[in-house]
Amino acid sequence: MRTLFATLLALCCTPAHSGEAPQKPLGDIPVMHEEAAAAGLDNIYDGPWEFFVGGGGAALDCDGSGFPSVFLAGGKNPAKLFVNKSIRGGPLRFEEKPLGIDAPQHELDNVTGAYPVDIDGDGHMDLVLLRVGGLTLLKGGPNCTFSLANKQWSFAGDPGWVTSFAATWERGEKFPTLAIGHYVDRHAPGSPYGTCEDNALYRPQSGDKPDYSVRTPLAPGFCALSMLFTDWNRSGAPSLRVSNDRQYYRGGEEQMWRIESGKAPRLYGRADGWRHLSVFGMGIAEGEIDADGYPEYALTSMGDTKLQKLDPDEAGKGEAPVYRDIAGDRGATAHIPYAGGDLKPSTGWHSEFADFNNDGLLDLFIAKGNVEAMPDFAAFDPSNLMLGQWNGKFAEAGVEAGIAGNHKSRGALIDDFNLDGKLDLLVVNRSQPASLYRNLGAKADGEPIEMGNWVEIRLAQPNPNRNAVGARIAVKTGTRTMTRTVQVGGGHASGHAGFVHLGLGTAERAEIRVQWPDGEWSFPYRVFANQFVTVDRERSQAAYWYPGR
Amino acid sequence: MKMAMMVAGIAIVAIAAMSQVRSASWDERVFSSHVDFAAVAGAGAAAIPALIARGRELFKAKFTLADGAGRPKATQAIVPTKRKHGVNPAFTRTSGPDAISCAGCHNDPVTGGAGDFVANVFVSEGFESAEFDTTDPTFSSERHTMALMGAGLVELLAREMTADLRAERDEGVKRAWSRGADVAIDLVTKGVRFGQMVAHPDGMLDLDRIDGVDADLTVRPFSRKGVFTSLRQFTINAMNVHHGMEAVERFGVRWTGTHDFAESGVPDAVTQGDISALVAFQATLPPPIEKTDLPADWRAAASAGARTFGELGCASCHIKELPLRSMLFTDPAPYDMAGTLRASETDRAIRIDLAKLPFAARLRRNDKGEWLIPLFSDLRRHLIVDAQVNSLGNELQAQRFVERDVFLTPRLWGVGSTAPYGHRGDFRALGEIIAAHGGEARFARDAYLGADETVRGNVIAYLRSLQLEAP
Repeated sequence: MRTLFATLLALCCTPAHSGEAPQKPLGDIPVMHEEAAAAGLDNIYDGPWEFFVGGGGAALDCDGSGFPSVFLAGGKNPAKLFVNKSIRGGPLRFEEKPLGIDAPQHELDNVTGAYPVDIDGDGHMDLVLLRVGGLTLLKGGPNCTFSLANKQWSFAGDPGWVTSFAATWERGEKFPTLAIGHYVDRHAPGSPYGTCEDNALYRPQSGDKPDYSVRTPLAPGFCALSMLFTDWNRSGAPSLRVSNDRQYYRGGEEQMWRIESGKAPRLYGRADGWRHLSVFGMGIAEGEIDADGYPEYALTSMGDTKLQKLDPDEAGKGEAPVYRDIAGDRGATAHIPYAGGDLKPSTGWHSEFADFNNDGLLDLFIAKGNVEAMPDFAAFDPSNLMLGQWNGKFAEAGVEAGIAGNHKSRGALIDDFNLDGKLDLLVVNRSQPASLYRNLGAKADGEPIEMGNWVEIRLAQPNPNRNAVGARIAVKTGTRTMTRTVQVGGGHASGHAGFVHLGLGTAERAEIRVQWPDGEWSFPYRVFANQFVTVDRERSQAAYWYPGR
Repeated sequence: MKMAMMVAGIAIVAIAAMSQVRSASWDERVFSSHVDFAAVAGAGAAAIPALIARGRELFKAKFTLADGAGRPKATQAIVPTKRKHGVNPAFTRTSGPDAISCAGCHNDPVTGGAGDFVANVFVSEGFESAEFDTTDPTFSSERHTMALMGAGLVELLAREMTADLRAERDEGVKRAWSRGADVAIDLVTKGVRFGQMVAHPDGMLDLDRIDGVDADLTVRPFSRKGVFTSLRQFTINAMNVHHGMEAVERFGVRWTGTHDFAESGVPDAVTQGDISALVAFQATLPPPIEKTDLPADWRAAASAGARTFGELGCASCHIKELPLRSMLFTDPAPYDMAGTLRASETDRAIRIDLAKLPFAARLRRNDKGEWLIPLFSDLRRHLIVDAQVNSLGNELQAQRFVERDVFLTPRLWGVGSTAPYGHRGDFRALGEIIAAHGGEARFARDAYLGADETVRGNVIAYLRSLQLEAP
């Protein structure tokens, strides 16, 4: 008998590990399955020179289902609203819903991007449309209906070429402060070079409804292609970062405005420690990748991406905004195409940190693509999916993941469109149909396999700012704490609202703490992994949420 | 036919074993080779006896540094966690590694059984205060070694209960969405109530009134608190905590970026197949028996005690039998999360039909054909202390969201063989542990103590007849 067991054991066993060369990336590679056409998502962003930049959209739950629907810019083509009809874990499916907005056509033409934000706090997400011509505010209603709200909210549209947007709730305000970024003044002498329009800040005026009748210029403007309110030093008062396109400015640079309640905006300057940086700024992403308590920023450009970290030697404890570029150290420069053999510089647009493989590490997505036909820059320029590694670096996985297509990509929406806990990806492409990638799971020899655990968190608090824009979410698993900040802005003309996704790796439980926008920390909320949860400031427990289909 | 299948199975397995490294016959190492999960799963039933035998070997094996033991740079935590400073000593009685072998503790009265008080373990999260050299309960919760007999049946019961509870939840959620109104959902499975939840028409769930189970409705049947979903999850944790042997599926390159997270010098120390062998051994351990070969006075008292046990209210939690629909044990298990092998991560599962094992013949079946598993538990958590009776409330730490004075109803099968009693093992006799029941069990405890000596004796006689048997 013993002999039989010994024989069977000998047969069923493989040798002890003999040491293999590590693979790169070392963790899971998500399989991103392109299914835009099958999903019914038919949208092309296109148009002449004014539409070389822009090309974004917004993801938002507009029908109360919890599934993110999308509004996509079309440039010279009409912007479209696609209502999400997917079922949980299934193939992606969208149905176009005519906007049906009673408004002069020029208010809805020439849309370059969009951001969702509940401006009036009625529980329906509103839409901010970036347009060549100005900014349009759409008030959200039930069942994915929208109405023009510029007049109702005393907003004159901030005429000009709008290319970026961000919003924040300043302390004590009922409604958000809106920052609007402009591009080239096409009518100025010498245009387009050296003719960047000023940007603007709209603070809500007192009253029971949004009133944006007062414009505060943010001058000088340097052709802002991305803006983001960010609490860079954890002061509790977010500043406004502006990423500018050096293609058209003269004497410009990257900017950051100090926005303090009741005070005029003030640019950070050399005396504050702000250093000159000039890039073809296309998109800002914020993420905490090294758990030092301060956010890092990915700035896309033509050529290398900047990955900025508050300088530990010169920034003190957030006293001075002195940043060090760590893109090279972290393997995140993404300066030339990683596939296709074209060695000319890349052109980066939308940037966003997210955890695509649920391993608990932030990954970095960068949409790539030639402006149009710029000969000095790569023609085949696939978007990057740089997966965060445990050694702090990023490893490119665009080819393996399946997103290395030949597109002129611009904006993007990273969201869980089928509510399966895995982040999907929608990329707006210039002159080509938008790409929609469903995350099927981790690459394996056969079918994709399940990835790490996850949690998706939605915040709620009483008005003002019912969705807690500006809140910081800290999720603790063991000795690790992962953070996300609820923001409106950044990326390239694209933003999403709703559940905030975090990968949890092997943790099956997590503890959530929220630093609400007013600076107060919540007590810890305990949640199990692989759940959608709502953290309501007025409730002592996180509530679980389940989709209806 | 049977022989042909077996040969076919062996042939499939053999492909993966071609390059096996042979070690000297006196080698102290446990792992001169590893079990190949895919090969075993592919071989089907033919490979199961060898898998179980290998599991038994591993359960009794004494892991060496050459096997990767000791986790010098990692803590005992359930998720991969590095030590902040220094290296672990070879053994530390408190924070571990604290054993060279599974059977070092699980050996009373047979391998896979319980342990004496000296084999207690000191449970901590292993995060901020991973290293401690004290038995002070502010650092850890001291726990008595539990017997593993019948563990496969227990896991199967828990799986079915989880499936039932989740189906009830999902149906309620669907109705609330479609009706546009609140729906109250009674959470009941196998006659055990787990409270109620309310599904709101916007998809939100009100969980305030669920009871005795985690919010994700996973019935976790293992550990004193009921915090482990499966034998597989328990085994991976225990191998790390007690032996410093780190399984690839939790601590491997996929989740840590390295093949040797613990810096033991041995990459990928424990494979999926190795864990499966340990799981197979534990899952097929025969359940305890109700001994009838007893002296006449004991037999008579036990017979009376069986009735009294129910009459006093003990059986309200220590339910004698729970019905089991299927005896097919699959590995991986259906409700494990990342870090414990999941079904989608394998081409096929290892399947062990417990109905074909000898012990199945002595299990009763009901008129539905369900197997009646005599575990004496509801697999539910209860508050076990109150203001007056609180000696079981001696822990100071919650464990994985379970409050300090809430415990899973212990399975009483085999209780006659597993003294001492209680989660810390600090009650020497059955009467003492019964008297320590407070909280939700207070009424039954009071009834027991209020009964006359003969009645109490009958209960003890009955409980003492529930014994472990050598596998």
